[in-house]
Amino acid sequence: MITLQLLVNGLALGAAYALVALGFVLVLNATAAVNFAQGDLVMAGGLLAVALAPHLPAYLPLPGLLLLPVVLVLMAGLGLLLAAAAYLPLRRRPPVAVFISTIAAGIILQNGASVLFGPEPRAAPPLLSGGTLDIGGLVVAEQSLAIIAVAALLIAGQQWLFGRTQLGRRLRATAQDPEMARACGVPVTAMILVTFALGTAFAGAAGLLLANRYFVTPTAGGDLILKAYIAVTIGGWGSVPGAVAGALLIALFEVGVSSVLSYPVALGLLYATLLVILVARPQGLFGEAARRRA
Amino acid sequence: MLRGVRKWRALAPTLTLPRWAGEGIGVAVLVAYALLYASPYGLRVLTVAGVYALAAIGFQIVFGLGGALSLAHGAFFGIGAYATGILGSQWGFGFAATFPVSLLVPLLLALLVGLPVLRLESHYFALATLGIAQVVHLLAVNSPGLTGGANGLPGVPGIVLFGWAVPRGLPLAAVVWGFVALGGLLAWRLARGRWGRALTLVRDDPLAAGTLGLDVGGLRLAAFALSAVYAGAAGALAVHTQRVVSPEVLEFPIMVSVLTIAVVGGRGRVAGAILGAVLLLHLPEWFRFLERSYLIVYGVALLATIVLAPHGLTGLLDRLFPARPVPLPTPAAPPETAIPTGPLLRVEGLTKGFGGVRAVDGVSLTLEAGTITGLIGPNGSGKTTLVNLISGVEAPDGGRVLMGGTDLAGKRPDRIARAGIARTFQAVSLPEGASVLAAVAAARLERDGSIAQAEAHALWALERLGAADLAARPCAGLPAALRRRVELARALARQPAVLLLDEPAAGLTDGEKAELAGHLRAIAATGTALLVVEHDMGFLLPLAGHVLCLDQGRPLYAGPPEGVRTDPAVVAAYLGEGA
Repeated sequence: MITLQLLVNGLALGAAYALVALGFVLVLNATAAVNFAQGDLVMAGGLLAVALAPHLPAYLPLPGLLLLPVVLVLMAGLGLLLAAAAYLPLRRRPPVAVFISTIAAGIILQNGASVLFGPEPRAAPPLLSGGTLDIGGLVVAEQSLAIIAVAALLIAGQQWLFGRTQLGRRLRATAQDPEMARACGVPVTAMILVTFALGTAFAGAAGLLLANRYFVTPTAGGDLILKAYIAVTIGGWGSVPGAVAGALLIALFEVGVSSVLSYPVALGLLYATLLVILVARPQGLFGEAARRRA
Repeated sequence: MLRGVRKWRALAPTLTLPRWAGEGIGVAVLVAYALLYASPYGLRVLTVAGVYALAAIGFQIVFGLGGALSLAHGAFFGIGAYATGILGSQWGFGFAATFPVSLLVPLLLALLVGLPVLRLESHYFALATLGIAQVVHLLAVNSPGLTGGANGLPGVPGIVLFGWAVPRGLPLAAVVWGFVALGGLLAWRLARGRWGRALTLVRDDPLAAGTLGLDVGGLRLAAFALSAVYAGAAGALAVHTQRVVSPEVLEFPIMVSVLTIAVVGGRGRVAGAILGAVLLLHLPEWFRFLERSYLIVYGVALLATIVLAPHGLTGLLDRLFPARPVPLPTPAAPPETAIPTGPLLRVEGLTKGFGGVRAVDGVSLTLEAGTITGLIGPNGSGKTTLVNLISGVEAPDGGRVLMGGTDLAGKRPDRIARAGIARTFQAVSLPEGASVLAAVAAARLERDGSIAQAEAHALWALERLGAADLAARPCAGLPAALRRRVELARALARQPAVLLLDEPAAGLTDGEKAELAGHLRAIAATGTALLVVEHDMGFLLPLAGHVLCLDQGRPLYAGPPEGVRTDPAVVAAYLGEGA
């Protein structure tokens, strides 16, 4: 029973991580740029939810879920801002320039948050009522199920967008080969902006989903960007399903090891695993083709 | 307006400021500030600025010169700080013992993790080093027995130099800045010398650096390790200044500060590290109203600099006060390397596969001294792969590359280059930030004793190709034909026994091709064996004494050039079956 419970917790955490990693990998594929601010964007999404929650009318139910569309839209706007300030002016320069500019963006977000909210951990409103469900003896937090459901919906939405729509086809063309896409009449700059907006919105959603269960602090982004990175590395650099699978894997690992030993040990082991994977198989556990693009 | 600028530019060289003017004025301002205006608090800020300057000078070596965005620099800083903190406050050791240990521990860790991690490309490397930093931070917070855990260790003793306990205030600031001066001078000399030049070439073009005889891995590791020593020294001094050590010294903001200082000051420049440190440590003082969130200023400064002034403040200063052109050296022929006669290079049964495709499949050839061999074949037949295998850019799956009885197959490119093999690339790559002379001189860094010598030899190589007039021009913006000429000069400057050329005539006009053919004949006449990959038969066939034609990685024809046009197999391969 306890293992099942851990499994549900792990899946909930993994679902949120998957959104983070997915946003990271979408931007990476479209621009070949490593968005180092992705972790801080998650934090920003969480704090946005914290800030917005008191403004919801008290008689409305499901505060967290109602905030989701607002967070998505506002964070997408932040993504556009990020692209305009930290990516577009540097697109003809070596990748390290964008890497540093997104580090700078992350610093601004992190310290802006610490000025506005202070360093204390804060909790966003619960997605549902905050109660538990008893499924045949298995007590599951509604929150966990809600996280899994929302993340699954968003990921499915992303799959549908990329797989079935005209916009998705253009986004994929841009990710595959920007020069070729431009030659075929795809407005590449607009597609890159959409990708940044999407990636940032996903980070923000993850922030909202996580911020009730795990609390949010201004410096929470540092660990999250590394986890997103590990997920992407495990899943094969550049692969979207790989990133989702990698995120689930590290979350299960984290929850499992934390329950037996401790969270710092789990974190330490994760980073050690990252180093081993990088050195032994930098192209990721399941990927090869993506290596050259990155 | 433009005329005014031009007039001013023309006047500028006549305003002969001494070479040290900029640095001298800077030092004078700093000293005057410390002596005359600085309050106790101001001196403290200046001391901390010195600590960061030292860390940033180290960061310039690995990031600025070496081009590796190491995010472990903050960790090395913290480890140096903890070494001093633990030994000083727990074990009662003095500065004379703790300071060397604070340099040594980061150095050892850098050597340990550097070997595997430095092989990674840009962002893999950055995030791997960030992972290292996070692990170190976790260890420090979670081993309270050793590090005092989250609370840290109080009671770190002050600096004692030769029996003199350095008091706080001006003396401490002076001692810290003394270390900055020492470290800065050392780094400045290294950066301007052969080692620094080699490191910048490794940064700009690791592939070419290897084929020019430079040990890419060794240079990167040395830069990483040296930067760790600087960080450790800065960490130790930081703890002596604060008298306590806590996990804060391992947190990301330190790394951010150092990165910001280096980028805002100007990448790769010692003066940039010092200027950036003084400026950025004082910025929060000027922006007091922001209180503890001074890091926002850092973030904005970093973002603004990377977008608006990619070469940082020192880059802007360079544009205001352009350096006077350095006079060209007197060309000098490098010492003759005796090239033996007869077969120089023997390739036997060389094989290489990518995935399921055999790119090179059992190729053998012999290059005789003083001859030109043509290597032809349709696109994708394995010509460039063969050149890559011989020069060590790629490792063969099987076969031998024999030179003077030594099998070079699978050896590192720099080992192969030192055995006397030079090459050019199909897509010419030159370090865009360098002058033509510096780019060619890179070929001599591994052999010559000084930069001056290397440049004299480089000018000789340029002269031999009739390109001496290019020497002072920047590589950036050079037309394709001239780029090829410069690259050939770079290969020639190595005085190779064997020269591998990958499509040297691509994109040249007929006149330029004829000129190139003359140069290649002259090179062969000195005894060098040439292997020329080329599509242009009109250029190659009159030039080559022997031709090898590949098709799908296999030798299709080997013999005199006259036979190529009539050989049915070659014709079929080029024109398709049944043509």
